[in-house]
Amino acid sequence: MPECQHQWEMTNIQFGFVSFEKCFHCNDLRTYFSAEDNPILGDKYREGDHYWSRVENAQTFTFDLKCTQCKHTEKFDDLMGLLHCTGCLPDCDVEIMRKKLEAEKTWTVVAFGFLPKAKTEPIPPHKLDTLTDYFNQRRDTSRSKIKVVPFNLIGDLARCKGDFIHDVGMLSLEPPSGRKSPF
Amino acid sequence: MTTQDLIEKLGLKALSKFEHRDVDGVFVSDMLSDVMAGVKSGNLWLTIQTHKSIVPAANLVDVSAVIITSGKEVPQDTVDLASKYHIAILSSDLATFELVGKLYGLGLGSK
Repeated sequence: MPECQHQWEMTNIQFGFVSFEKCFHCNDLRTYFSAEDNPILGDKYREGDHYWSRVENAQTFTFDLKCTQCKHTEKFDDLMGLLHCTGCLPDCDVEIMRKKLEAEKTWTVVAFGFLPKAKTEPIPPHKLDTLTDYFNQRRDTSRSKIKVVPFNLIGDLARCKGDFIHDVGMLSLEPPSGRKSPF
Repeated sequence: MTTQDLIEKLGLKALSKFEHRDVDGVFVSDMLSDVMAGVKSGNLWLTIQTHKSIVPAANLVDVSAVIITSGKEVPQDTVDLASKYHIAILSSDLATFELVGKLYGLGLGSK
């Protein structure tokens, strides 16, 4: 039986927030998905040696991709969000790849897993390829293409000023002032 | 119908630098997540959002143009980013509802 040429569509869409928590003791960062209606900023609590404080909430959504042909479902509960590379760090591997692919009219998008788990268990390459396929199947690829790459290519997260493609600040109609690192 | 036709027929203002292209269908939403899930290639995207994040989202899903409605002012960094990636950012003084009516009258609907 020939292998299915998957045609992907989004399924199991759930809207919510990605919440960023920072430990003000060691500066460690962790993220998680929250389905709360109104997650509170500044919520502080202690967990072992860490003193966590919720520093940012951004509207986002989770989803899975289902093949309309063979009905196979690829789960993406480990995807925190997609990030647009702004070319902020010339020596970053994402920027080096972005420049190379840009010449081929291919735009680079970084897939982020939830921290800190994604540092040791990044989103597997076959799932990144599935995301790449999904977005390219919805585009006129004669004009340009999308390539989804893993976030561990980012050399220095602390200096990264990439733009998350989700509803940051969308509860307010005013643009956020200044550009800061999301980390 | 092309983005050039729409600019002429509806008096839209072109804010960014881009190449005109065919328009196929209309999608209305102010949530990027909704756009990323629902827009189809070639759609017009109508929104009141002007945050810079609309540019990578528009690029990701390959809309023919983003129309900012209700005469909302678009920050220069949004326009600059759109020009860099040749994403069409258009502006209309009409409210979203009125503009949708005019687009429907021109034969454009959801696709």
